[in-house]
Amino acid sequence: MDNITLAQGIVKAAALLGAGMCMGMGALGPGVGEGFVAGKACEGIARSPENASLITRTMLVGQAVSESTGIYSLVIALLLIFST
Amino acid sequence: MELSVEYIRIAAYLGAGISVGLGAITTGIGSGIIAGEGALGVMRQPKANDQLFRTMLIGQAAAQTAGIFALVISMLLIYGGFDITEGGWYRAAALLAAGLAMGIGAFGPSLGAGYSGGEACKSVARMPKHGNAIMGNMLIGQALSQTSAIFALVVALLLLYSVPNQPIGLSVGKILLKSISLIGAGMAIGLGTIGPGAGIGYVAGKANDMMGKFPKERSKIMRTMFLGAAVSESTAIYSLVVAFLLIFAV
Repeated sequence: MDNITLAQGIVKAAALLGAGMCMGMGALGPGVGEGFVAGKACEGIARSPENASLITRTMLVGQAVSESTGIYSLVIALLLIFST
Repeated sequence: MELSVEYIRIAAYLGAGISVGLGAITTGIGSGIIAGEGALGVMRQPKANDQLFRTMLIGQAAAQTAGIFALVISMLLIYGGFDITEGGWYRAAALLAAGLAMGIGAFGPSLGAGYSGGEACKSVARMPKHGNAIMGNMLIGQALSQTSAIFALVVALLLLYSVPNQPIGLSVGKILLKSISLIGAGMAIGLGTIGPGAGIGYVAGKANDMMGKFPKERSKIMRTMFLGAAVSESTAIYSLVVAFLLIFAV
C-alpha cells in the first residue's frame, strides 16, 4: 500500500495515532490501580504476617481484575493497527 | 510540500523543549517530597541526622534519573547532528515523537521514585537502627519504578536512530500515515509509563513504610513488593509492544 490517496492516508493515520493514544492512556489506570493494590497488600502482610497467603491471593485476583481494562486497550490498539 | 532542513530543525527543537520541560515537572516534585520528608524526619529524630541526610541524598539522586534521561534526549535532539534532509518527513516526525516519548515518559517514574524515597525517609526517622535495610529496599523500589522510564528511553533512542529513511516517490497519504504513526508510538510509550511508574512507586513507598514499622517481616514485605510491582509493570510492556508495532510494523 505504498501509493494510497491522501484521504485514505489521513484515515489510517488517525487510526494509528488513536492506537498509540489508546494504549498510552489505557495503561494509566491499571498501572496506578495495581500499584495501589500491591501497596496495600504490603501494608496488610506487615500488619498480619500469618495471613500472608490469603492477602497475596486477594492481591493477585484484584490486580487481575484491574488489569482487564489494560487488556481492552491493547486489543483496541491492535485492532486499530491491523484491521482498519 | 517540499521538505527543507528548517522543518527538521523545528521538529528537533520542539521535541527538545517538550522532553526536558515535561520531564522536569515531576522530577522536581519527587525530589521535593523526599527532601520534605527528610526535613520532617530530622525534626522528629535529630540524632539520626547523618543517616537521614544520606538516605535523602541517595533517594533524590535516584529520583532524578528520569529527568536526566529527558535531558540527554533533548541534548541529542539539539546537538545530535539531525539537521539533514535525508530521512525526509519520517525523520521530522520521529524527532518530535522522541521528545514526546521521553518527556511524558518521565512523569510517572519520577513521581513514584519520589514517593518511595519520601516514605523511606519517614521510616528511617522512625527506626534509625534498621536504616540500612530500609535504604536498600528504597533503592530496589526506585529501580523498579524507573524501569518504565527506561522503556521510554529505549523507544526515544530507537526513534532517533533506527527509523528508516523515507523512500523516494511515495504518495502524500503514505508519508502522512507513517509520520503520524511514529508520533503515535511516542505517545503510546510516553503516556503508558505514567501509570506503572506511579503505581510501582506507591508499592515501594508502602513497603518502605512498613519496613520501618515491622522490621521483622522484611522478607515477606519484599516478596509482596516484587510480585505486585511485576504485575503493575505489565501495562508498560503492552505499551512498549504497541510502540514497537507502530514504529516497525506499519
